[in-house]
Amino acid sequence: MRLQRVGTAGPAKRRRYGSSKGEALAFYGFLSPWIIGTAALTLFPVGYALYLSFTAWDGVSVFKPWVGLANYREVLTSSDTLSSLSKTLLLVAIIVPTTIVGSLVLAVLLNERVRGRTFFRTLIYIPAIVPPVASALIWKVVFDQNSGAANRVGAMFGVDAVNWLTGNRAFVVLVVVLLWGVGAGIIINLAALQTVPMEQLEAVKLDGGNALTAFRHVTLPVISPVLLFQTVLVTITTLQTFVPALLLSPISTGGGDVYTNIPNANRVYMVDVYSQFFAYSRYGYGSAMLTVFFLVIVVLTVLIFKLVGRSVFYAVDPTASGKG
Amino acid sequence: MALDEKTRVPVARRTPAHGTARPAWHQRRPKHPVIFTVLLVVSVLMVLPFAELVISSLRSTNAVNEDTWLPSAFEWSNYKKVVTLIPFWRFARNSVVLSALFALLTTLSSAVVGYGFARLRAPGKNLLFGLLISTMMVPQIVTLIPTYLLFANFGLVGTYWPWVLWGTAGAPYAIFLYRQFFSSFPKELEEAAVIDGAGRIRIFVQIFLPLSRPLLVTAFVLAFNTVWGDFIAPNLLLDQDNTTLAVGVGNGYVINQGFPLPNLIAGGALLYVVPVVILFLAAQRSYVRGFANSGLKG
Repeated sequence: MRLQRVGTAGPAKRRRYGSSKGEALAFYGFLSPWIIGTAALTLFPVGYALYLSFTAWDGVSVFKPWVGLANYREVLTSSDTLSSLSKTLLLVAIIVPTTIVGSLVLAVLLNERVRGRTFFRTLIYIPAIVPPVASALIWKVVFDQNSGAANRVGAMFGVDAVNWLTGNRAFVVLVVVLLWGVGAGIIINLAALQTVPMEQLEAVKLDGGNALTAFRHVTLPVISPVLLFQTVLVTITTLQTFVPALLLSPISTGGGDVYTNIPNANRVYMVDVYSQFFAYSRYGYGSAMLTVFFLVIVVLTVLIFKLVGRSVFYAVDPTASGKG
Repeated sequence: MALDEKTRVPVARRTPAHGTARPAWHQRRPKHPVIFTVLLVVSVLMVLPFAELVISSLRSTNAVNEDTWLPSAFEWSNYKKVVTLIPFWRFARNSVVLSALFALLTTLSSAVVGYGFARLRAPGKNLLFGLLISTMMVPQIVTLIPTYLLFANFGLVGTYWPWVLWGTAGAPYAIFLYRQFFSSFPKELEEAAVIDGAGRIRIFVQIFLPLSRPLLVTAFVLAFNTVWGDFIAPNLLLDQDNTTLAVGVGNGYVINQGFPLPNLIAGGALLYVVPVVILFLAAQRSYVRGFANSGLKG
C-alpha cells in the first residue's frame, strides 16, 4: 500500500511542484476572487471618480460637462474646503500622537504582572470595538446640555451648564469621542511586547541600566515596525472622520440637509465632501475633493515613513527577517 | 499554610533557570501598586460612559432634563418604545444578516487569497502584493460613492448584493494577516500532502484552514464589526425604512418636530452596542491569539 503510493508520488510531485505553469495557474485561481473584486469595486470606482473630477456632473444628468482642472483649482482655493482640510489635519495632529503614545503606555503597563490585568485589558479595549455610531451617541448623551454628566460634573465645581454640542466646544467633544478608542492598539502592542527578548532586557540591567534605558534601547526598537504600521493606520482612519461629526450635531433627523446642522468647528473634510455630493449635488467637485484627499493620504504616509521610518528597526528576530 | 506550600514549590523550581521565568509570588500580591492604580482609574474612565448610558436610558421622557445623577424614577418601559418607535427588529435582522453574510464570505475568501500569496509563486506576484498593500490605503469613502453609482446602474441598490460582492472580494487587511500566518508554515507540510496525492484545494481546505482557527475568528469578528458599525454604506445603499441598526439608531428617536429623545437614543445605542461587546467577549481568547500569531511576523 505504502510503497505503491510512494511510487506514484514521483510524477505527481513533478507535475505539481516542478511545473511553474501549473503553480502560476493555481496562484491566479486562488487570487481570482480578490483580483476580480478589486478591479470592479476598487480600481474601477477610483478611475471613475478621477474621470468625474474633471467634469461638472450634477449626479442626475446624462451629460457630464468637461471642465478640465477647474474643480481642482477650486479645491485648492476655496476657503471652505481649505478650512475643513485644516480642521481635519488639526484632528490628526491631536489624535495620532495621543493614541499611539497612549496605547503604547497602556500596553506596557498591562504587560506587567499586575493583578486583574486581563480584566483591565478587556475594559480598556472595549471602547475600541464600539461602533462609531454608538460612541457618537454615547458621548452625545454624556455631553447633553440639560441632562448630560459633563455639565453635572461642572456643576460640582460651580461651573454653569454649557451647550457642548455647538460652537467650538463641539470640536472638544469630537476629540473626546475619538480618544475614547485609545485602546485600539493595545492588543497588537501587547503581542509585539511578547517578542521582546528577555535576555537583552536582563543584559541592560546587568550593565547598570534602569527600566527606561532598557525600554529605549531594547523594547522600542523591537516593536517599532508595529508602531509605524499603527501610526499610518490611525492617521488614515482619523482623516476619514465623518460619522461622529454627523451624529454629534444637535439634531440629525435624517431628512433634509443634515450637514448644515453640523457646527462649523466639526465641519471636517469628509463632512464637506458629503455636503458637496448630497446637499449640493456637485459630483464633479466632490470627486475632485476625494482625489485631493487621496493625495493627502499618500503624502502623509510618505512623510510618516520618512520621519518615523528612519528610526524603525527591522530584522531583530532572525526567523522573521528570513521570510520577508 | 497548605496553600503556601503549593505556591512555593514552583518558585523553587523556576527561578534558577533564567530570566524569563516568572516567579509565582508575582501573582500572589499586587507587586506594582502604582501601575495597578493607574490601570484601575483608566478602566473606570473607559467604562463610565456606559454607566451614564444605562442611567440615561431609564429616565422618563418628562424628566429627561433633570440634573440628578440617578433618575427620580426608573422608566423600564422606555425600552418598549426603543424597539417600537423605529422598526427596531427589522433593522436588527438586516444588521445580523448583512454582518454575518459579509463576515463569512470575507473570512473564507481572504483565507483563500492569503494562501495564494503565501504559498504559491507566479509571475506578477510582487506587483499584486504591492496592489494589495496600496488598496489598504484607499479609504472606503473614495470608492464608495462611485461604487454606489455602479450598483445603482445594475439595480443593486436596496438589496444585499453589494455586501455579497464585497465579501467575496475579501478584505485587504484580513488577506494580509492570513498571508503572514500561512507564510510561517514549513514547506514539508505541503510536500507530505502532495506525496499523498492531495491537490492544492485539498491542501488548503484540509491542512491550512483547520490550523488557522484563531485567525479565522479574528477575521470574522473584525469583518462582522465592520459591517455592524458601518453607517455610510447602508445609508447610501438601503431604503431608510429597511436599513441596518447603525442607520436606524443613528437617525431615529426624534419626535415629529425633529427634537431628539435622549433617553430613547441612549436605550437604542445600548441595545445596538451590546451584541458587538458580547461577540468580542465570547471570541476574545481566539481573537487575541489570532493577532499574536500573524500580525507581527514579517
